[in-house]
Amino acid sequence: MRSFLRKLGWLTRRSGKEAELGEELHFHLEEEAEERGAGGLTEGEARLAARRELGNLALVQENSRAAWGWFWLEQLVRDASYGLRQVRRSRLFSGMAIATLALGIGGITAVFSVFDAVLIRPLPYADADRLVMIWDYMGKADVMTRHNPTPPEWIEWRRLNTVFTDLASTQPGDATLSGDGEPEQVPARKATWNFWSVLGVRPIAGRVFTEDEDNQSMRVVVISYGLWQRRFGGSPGIVGRKISLNDEPYEVIGVMPRGFYFMPSREVDIWMPASFPAWMRRNFTWHDAQIVARLKPGVTLEQARQSMTALSLQVTAKDFRGPHPVIVMPLREEIAGKTQTALIWLLCASAALLAIACVNLANLLLSRGAARGREVAVRAALGAGRGRLAAQFLTESLVLAAFGTLAGLVLALPAMRFLERLVPEAMGAERLTLDWRVLAFSGAAAIGAALTFGLAPALGGSRLGPQEGLRAGGRGTTGGRSHWFQHALIVIETALAVVLLTCGGLLFQTFQHLRNTDLGIRSERLLTFETPLFRYKDFDRRVAFVNAELEKVRAIPGVISAGSINVIPFTNFANATFYRLEGQPAGAVPGQVALVRNVSRDYFAAVGARLREGRFFSASDQKSDSPVAIVNEQFANRHFAGRQELGQRFKFGNLGQKGYWYTIVGVVKPIRESGVLEEARLAVYRVLEQCDQIGDLNAGMVVRTAVEPASVVPAVRQAIWSLDKNQPLARIRTMEEIVDRQLATPSQSSALSGAFALLALLLASLGIYGVLSYAVSQRTNEIGVRMALGATSGQILIAFGKRGLALTITGLAIGLVLAAIAARSMTTLLYGFRPDYTPTVAAVSAILLAVSALACFIPARRASRVDPIVALRSE
Amino acid sequence: MRNDAPSRVELLQGTLDLLILRTLLAGPAHGHAIAKHIQRTSEDLLQVETGSLYPALHRLEAKGWIAASWELSSKGKRARFYRLTTAGRRQLAAEQSKWDAFARAMALILNPADQEAP
Repeated sequence: MRSFLRKLGWLTRRSGKEAELGEELHFHLEEEAEERGAGGLTEGEARLAARRELGNLALVQENSRAAWGWFWLEQLVRDASYGLRQVRRSRLFSGMAIATLALGIGGITAVFSVFDAVLIRPLPYADADRLVMIWDYMGKADVMTRHNPTPPEWIEWRRLNTVFTDLASTQPGDATLSGDGEPEQVPARKATWNFWSVLGVRPIAGRVFTEDEDNQSMRVVVISYGLWQRRFGGSPGIVGRKISLNDEPYEVIGVMPRGFYFMPSREVDIWMPASFPAWMRRNFTWHDAQIVARLKPGVTLEQARQSMTALSLQVTAKDFRGPHPVIVMPLREEIAGKTQTALIWLLCASAALLAIACVNLANLLLSRGAARGREVAVRAALGAGRGRLAAQFLTESLVLAAFGTLAGLVLALPAMRFLERLVPEAMGAERLTLDWRVLAFSGAAAIGAALTFGLAPALGGSRLGPQEGLRAGGRGTTGGRSHWFQHALIVIETALAVVLLTCGGLLFQTFQHLRNTDLGIRSERLLTFETPLFRYKDFDRRVAFVNAELEKVRAIPGVISAGSINVIPFTNFANATFYRLEGQPAGAVPGQVALVRNVSRDYFAAVGARLREGRFFSASDQKSDSPVAIVNEQFANRHFAGRQELGQRFKFGNLGQKGYWYTIVGVVKPIRESGVLEEARLAVYRVLEQCDQIGDLNAGMVVRTAVEPASVVPAVRQAIWSLDKNQPLARIRTMEEIVDRQLATPSQSSALSGAFALLALLLASLGIYGVLSYAVSQRTNEIGVRMALGATSGQILIAFGKRGLALTITGLAIGLVLAAIAARSMTTLLYGFRPDYTPTVAAVSAILLAVSALACFIPARRASRVDPIVALRSE
Repeated sequence: MRNDAPSRVELLQGTLDLLILRTLLAGPAHGHAIAKHIQRTSEDLLQVETGSLYPALHRLEAKGWIAASWELSSKGKRARFYRLTTAGRRQLAAEQSKWDAFARAMALILNPADQEAP
């Protein structure tokens, strides 16, 4: 402490200390000289001897000064300001260096901001790492392997499990909010009363519902912060207020905090009690629950998996489909979904780009370090130690890195807007911001980068002895030693660029494949929306209302055709049912599940579906005891391969004797009902009028327009309100928006990988160019001598070109091997598509060779043009 | 010619501080005098490098073990004189006992004969 104060005092009288030290050393020299003079030397000799004995005066002074204060800090400031001067002095070099770093750091910062938002930032639940979701595993079923569990499973699991503190269940349940203002369809979920206690979340106002309220089907709801602000203006009196949901009065009892969300979507605005009706509590086929559970302390995921699978086999032992196991997944993985792999890949890719940028800069600095050999030698002669020189070089690198980071952050901002679409739907529209975590990360990346690209040049540059540097007569040193190192760097950056190019190529191929996949319908200029039908209690009135809606909508100018379907294509994998074919034993057949879609007669024409056999629905298909059905190609191929499928009959298995026999009248080309990225599964279509009373709560409407779809929305709204002024319209979207949203992960990740790959290619070729040009400029003399001795310019061209190409080919070979390894780890990003590697590899090789040939050719040609006379004269 | 000079002993790391403090126990002295005193007292076995002496003096001063003031030398010239502070005395005592223990340990190992004698 006293020492600290003393140093602080000295800080204020720095020049005085300086003079004192000078005087002190001067006194020493005089004493020494006097003593030696007494020993018989002449005065001059004595002075010289004393001076020699003292050694390097500047070094002694510097080392003494070191004791006075926070020396390293002062040095840092001095080196930094020297670095700044260097930046200003060599603008071209600094500009290149800063731009290179900005690309690298900007890329990794932008990617990290999404990575952080999706995979690192804590989820809005207490101890979220202990939360898991549980799904039924239906290995044999046709529609999918993973099902939502059923209410009785939830009840049994809750009663019998040994691994969870509790399990909660939520179910879909949209609601129409009316009464004050326009009727509005709001996304809602039904939740069991323990939902919030499992998640460990409390409302910011009011309370959540109790077990009794849930069991007694009380009309109470908890609303989202968003709905509270938007619809109720953040009114403090919201708790206790009665609102009208689906035309029934409900009491608002609580408001959730702003950041709260849960699967499947952030947009959920209303939570109402699950209140399972008695029939649902026993129905093991009602697969629409989503179950979240909290692991007991000390229970691992693996233990939970084993225990729950055993329990499920026991609980479902009497299921007519046979017992089935369950899937237990951490909630975080559930929410991140496929984005997780995409983000990990993008983070690796951006790190590779930053590495390439660093390698490039290291090469540039090595070249420049050698050119600055004379400056280094002079400093060394004046007493700068090796560590001191290395520190100075590193500080200069840090100055460059600081500028690069600032420029990188500027680049990162627009990239982050672009990347926001990568945030999974469950998290909703999360704004990506440069918060302190992201800034800390890019700061760390910058320092890491500066050390990476600055260390080799710093050590290399400081190694030069003073004699060596000065003797070379100011031409700079050739530093033959560093050649292999620079060459290794070129190989590394080429290899990394090849990996990025190859993987980027594969992702691009995949995206093209997904883009061009036949969705089964024409998605351009197709408006979709939903109209909830709860206001129409009986089946016939629902059908009548849908038909009236279609009539009105078709009459709107700009509308070509309109149709309705219970579930808008690509949006939902639910609504699957068991069926049995004529001739199969009564009851449901295990494993025979098909998606069921109820459509209006002209639906297929409106969406532009294509027929393989038979006919679409027509006006003759009226309400009848012998209804007809259209199946998709998958259905026909599975059951009637090679046989006539038209005229075959099937019925829905869970209806027993009551159900109708449906006669197949047409086979439609597959439509990817479950999602753009999901293979089409077995599906059955039937016309609205001929459904066996399985009422759907929503009618999905599709409207083909001749004009921009958004422009007819007001007219559509008015048309429907003219039928029923309390009828809300929900989820108004164009089909293209639906498709784009689902393709967001592949499209954003392939676009970004593509950008990274091209930048990598650019940097790698600049690297080759830089090293070769530097070699040419260093060896101008040698070339001159060679040419004077008879080498032709062609030979010189080949000698230099060969070196560059050899490096490229080595890098290419290593890179292709690494790319093959990398490609294996990203199979999930290929969505089951098996891209052909050959064209990608061939294209990457050709592009890389072409670009690097150019990068080699320019300096090689300059070498071959050296005029021996000029070259030797410059000696 | 160099070979004829009495062979010098390299200073062990950290011992210079101890030597300076011990020298100053006799009274204030300037840098040159300190160096000469160490050299003479060690019968020329120890040669203090000027390059190390002054940084060491400034370091000790920063630590507060010695204090400096400008005074006139015996020949009437202005010189920077160093003297031991109270903290320096304490430090010297501590260092010296450490050194004694170290020297004894070295001697015990290097000259085991004394021990083996009955």
